[in-house]
Amino acid sequence: MDRGIKISIRNLYKIFGPTPEIALTYVRQGMGKAELLEKHNHVLGLQDINVDVHEGEITVIMGLSGSGKSTLIRHLNRLIEPTAGEIEVDGEDVLQFDENKLRKLRRERMSMVFQKFALLPHKTVLENAGMALLVRGYKVQDFEAEARKWLARVGLEGNENQYPHQLSGGMQQRVGIARALASNSPIMLMDEAFSALDPLIRSDMQDLLLELQGELEKTIVFITHDLDEALKLADHLVILKDGYVVQQGEPQDILMHPNDPYIIDFISDINRARVLRVRSIMEKTTEAPEHCAGDISERDNLESVIAMSEGDTDHTYRVMRKGKQVGVLDMKELVKALVPTDAAEGNERARY
Amino acid sequence: MATYDFLFSSLGLEEWCAGDTSDSPLSMADLLRKTKGTEAEPDSLWDLPFPSMDALHESCASFPQSRDLTKGLEQGFLDIKDNLSVVLDPLTQPLSWFLDGTLYGMLNTPWWIVIPILLAVVFVVSKSWKLVVFVGVSLALLAFIDYYEYAMQTLAIIFVCAFLCVIFGVPIGIAMSRSDMMQRLTIPVLDMLQTLPPFVYLIPLIFLFSVTESKLYGIAIILYAIVPVIRLTNLGIRLVDKDVIEAADAFGMTSRQKLYKVQIPLALPNIMAGVNQTIMMSLAMVVIASLVSAPGLGVLVLQGIRNLELGVGLVAGLGIVILAVILDRVTKASLARINAAQKQ
Repeated sequence: MDRGIKISIRNLYKIFGPTPEIALTYVRQGMGKAELLEKHNHVLGLQDINVDVHEGEITVIMGLSGSGKSTLIRHLNRLIEPTAGEIEVDGEDVLQFDENKLRKLRRERMSMVFQKFALLPHKTVLENAGMALLVRGYKVQDFEAEARKWLARVGLEGNENQYPHQLSGGMQQRVGIARALASNSPIMLMDEAFSALDPLIRSDMQDLLLELQGELEKTIVFITHDLDEALKLADHLVILKDGYVVQQGEPQDILMHPNDPYIIDFISDINRARVLRVRSIMEKTTEAPEHCAGDISERDNLESVIAMSEGDTDHTYRVMRKGKQVGVLDMKELVKALVPTDAAEGNERARY
Repeated sequence: MATYDFLFSSLGLEEWCAGDTSDSPLSMADLLRKTKGTEAEPDSLWDLPFPSMDALHESCASFPQSRDLTKGLEQGFLDIKDNLSVVLDPLTQPLSWFLDGTLYGMLNTPWWIVIPILLAVVFVVSKSWKLVVFVGVSLALLAFIDYYEYAMQTLAIIFVCAFLCVIFGVPIGIAMSRSDMMQRLTIPVLDMLQTLPPFVYLIPLIFLFSVTESKLYGIAIILYAIVPVIRLTNLGIRLVDKDVIEAADAFGMTSRQKLYKVQIPLALPNIMAGVNQTIMMSLAMVVIASLVSAPGLGVLVLQGIRNLELGVGLVAGLGIVILAVILDRVTKASLARINAAQKQ
């Protein structure tokens, strides 16, 4: 999974207010968000963000409302201008782009999916799906086939000539995704794309996204406030709080080794057995165990292993990757891994 | 001696006041006093006059009277009038041609061509046969009582003026929506145009243009009726969903693409509401503008007032109501069609 870096964010700061440059010096001297707001009436949106987005991966940026995640994603295509820092896409500094280069970037290399769909209400589904191509100057008949293809791919065959208001929320967001895909841009920015949908449809859409991603291998930056969604989708998870990165890394890693009480608090409510995978807790060895009860894949989640063992904690399993043994999993270890982190780490939660 | 003598003496201005005392015209108060033959001093605080221009003039003959203010204004206007006319006359001349041409065209085309054309327009705009029948019956009624010519004159003027209002108003509205500075500068002007009583427009216009020219009433109607279409264009564009604008930006639209493909289409319901208002206000003004030689039903209303011809005035008034209902229904129907097409 060693892939090139597609987007690189370095020391990014964003301060909202009349004189952000002056406020920036205070922040660099260590002033916090609350103090900055109280003393200088500036809102600290983002502070010292360093994130690498790898090519072909889904990078999920998670945080509660007000944590700056939507602000961060809008910096990538410069819908919001940063106060300080660097953003590189394919090694080029986006902040140095003039208007034309920026427009070219937005048209050809980045597409975006929005929380509130943001479809054009006066255009048909087909025209909406082809919006990126329409913007580039193509006529409807030129992009019709392309738009139809992507609409069919997201399951909207036969709805081409309807208007957005005639579709349900889930279907509208499918149009939003088809619109982003039809632009054929390597990077997709998804701003809380599924947050406005009800849970069942949301789960459907997540599956659709993973399925599409398996096929297309786009570089996706996904914003969410939902931890389950983040863990389901993420190859790389970035957790934001009050405008700074609390922790980032592989989601399994964050689950097993949370480094901040904020994150412990966050992950205490999730179903660990469903989220954790065998490879995160197995003992790495190529030696076969003595009483092997069976083979499991390193990608299996613990829930399926528990189901397989029927609750018997005496079993030991061989963990396989592509037909070769990569480790051993003792059911006792599995049970230990299910102990919530806050219980293991003492009464951390009481502080929050 | 007058009440405010002390003011000028304490300021040491007696000499200036005494400068020329002779020929200033009498104020109304002076005249009244003269006829009454009393030169009574106000003897109690109760009668203290406000230190107005006239009251101060009494104490100091060099101080201008209030009538000098209005006179000065008038004189000033007359002084710049000639220069202003040199600029404005050629600029506005096309309006006269446009109005005269449309009037000539509508009145000299036989009714059996004009009415079907109007009905066709109604159908194209509203796509409603019911409305077409209603308009047909209304026009037939007006023609039957021999008011066809007057009604067509009024309609012709409204078409020209409302068309020009849209041609000028929509771009002004767009400019306002794109620049807060422009909005700040324009809104006071719009407020003034909207609150100034319609008759007041006519006064400076009469000075500037001759009453025989049709552009005189054309300008009065346009100034009065252009306000809603400007305001609602501005409002409509500013109210376009921020998310959709953001999406347009994110997909790399140029600001021209954004304007023509997103903002104007989405603001269209509001713009059309403005057009509806503009047409209705043109109709209101075309009646008043008959005072300055605008032809049409307004002339009959005026005739009714002047000659106390109750019947003529009432029937003409009824004709105006019928025109108003037609125009309103047709524009509302097209507005409803646009709204239905882009309900969110």
